[in-house]
Amino acid sequence: MSKIFVITSGKGGVGKTTTTANLGVGLAMRGKKVVLIDTDTGLRNLDLLLGLENRIMYDLIDVTEGRVPYKKALVRHKKYESLFLLPTSQVKDKMAVNPEQLVKLCDELKKEFEYILIDCPAGIEQGFKTAIAAADVAIVVTMPEISAVRDADKIIGELGRADKENIKLIVNRIRPQMVEAGDMLAMDDINDILSIDCIGQVPDDVKVVTSTNRGEPCITMDDSQAGQAYRNIVSRILGENVPFMTFEKEGFLARLKHVFGM
Amino acid sequence: MSEEMVKIKGSGDGLQLNFAPGAAFADIEKELRRKLESGSGFFLRGTLVRIPRDVLTEEELTVLQKLFHAHGLICRRAAAPEAAAATKTTAARSAKKPVAQPAPAATAPPATQPPVQEMVVVNRTLRGGQEINTKSSVLVCGNVNPGAQIIAGGSIDIRGTCRGMVHAGAYGDTQAFVIADHLMPTQIRIADLIARSPDHMEKSDRAERASIKDGQIVIEPIER
Repeated sequence: MSKIFVITSGKGGVGKTTTTANLGVGLAMRGKKVVLIDTDTGLRNLDLLLGLENRIMYDLIDVTEGRVPYKKALVRHKKYESLFLLPTSQVKDKMAVNPEQLVKLCDELKKEFEYILIDCPAGIEQGFKTAIAAADVAIVVTMPEISAVRDADKIIGELGRADKENIKLIVNRIRPQMVEAGDMLAMDDINDILSIDCIGQVPDDVKVVTSTNRGEPCITMDDSQAGQAYRNIVSRILGENVPFMTFEKEGFLARLKHVFGM
Repeated sequence: MSEEMVKIKGSGDGLQLNFAPGAAFADIEKELRRKLESGSGFFLRGTLVRIPRDVLTEEELTVLQKLFHAHGLICRRAAAPEAAAATKTTAARSAKKPVAQPAPAATAPPATQPPVQEMVVVNRTLRGGQEINTKSSVLVCGNVNPGAQIIAGGSIDIRGTCRGMVHAGAYGDTQAFVIADHLMPTQIRIADLIARSPDHMEKSDRAERASIKDGQIVIEPIER
């Protein structure tokens, strides 16, 4: 049974695309057949993070408008054979795809792939509505920062209105020292407001930047803490028989604090 | 074609429905159900919906009222045309077939709103950008998050944390109050008074109640 995830946030720059790339690679590393769909038409980035920009022949718009079958537009990842990217167009805008087209496309992709990850654009307009249309599960990415949490809250409301009830939370770019010092929102504060099931806490990690620029998601790096956090999230996603119950507040942060000698 | 079967128009304090002449009730009901379930932002919870007088039978009216109620909206028959008095409306409501009721005499004074008794129950968390706007009182079983707002003609009771903007007695009821398990809203408004939160807000550990005393909004702890 294939699953369709949409990775969304409302606010820009919190790490939607980074999360999509990492989870995609992570699932592929575990042998799953995965396709990543970039719906951020006009501002596409997902191909860069995966280092696949130079291999793009056709894009999402070509597929939804029926110019080519989706198989022609899929770009296979150079390292992970079971990972595919469906890039979007850099020249069109968000109006070029509508929700019905994406739902139809995902129905076709479902036959072939176990996991479909949709990278959602920032904002709550047409692009967002299109991106979430086909999703079974929405993953809301936020940061321990008041504006990101506020926007995540709005997005959760919007998802509810679109009848997307299965919503998971990833808190990205946590700086444990700052949380400790009371300079950054703690997980409790975030859960207090958002009150949805959290499946991941990802620390802020300089390796994310280097890995982004190199086109190799940090989940592949053994020495990256963010990579470890993403691997944990992948495990939680795969442990789906007991959906998302494995999240422990202590586990990761406690270990992280240990590393920092706190 | 079906789009035209039910026309929805915003009116001062809610929505006014109009049905195409001759449309079958079953079709109307189906169409409304579809619209409500499409989740369009049109039908916010607590919205007052008025349906045309003298078109539906009492049973059909009940069906629609149940339908709207299930979606958290308040359904009422539209006020009688022009000068009909509120008291006459009540009379017409108890009549079996409104169609058979002769139009009320135009001698009555202009309609004055009778006190509204309903309470809107919101069984979820109100998130940023969501809004409840109603003439009645509101009970929220969940939180009211920052960026959400409740505007109620009556009082507001929040079984959770209130961080949004709440306005009780929005139509002038100075007896209205706001209760929350944790009352830390961005603003509290009661009738025509406004109080804002202190710049550094501590989470209170007991339920609190805000009401008007001596011309000021006062917040005091309560037991519950």
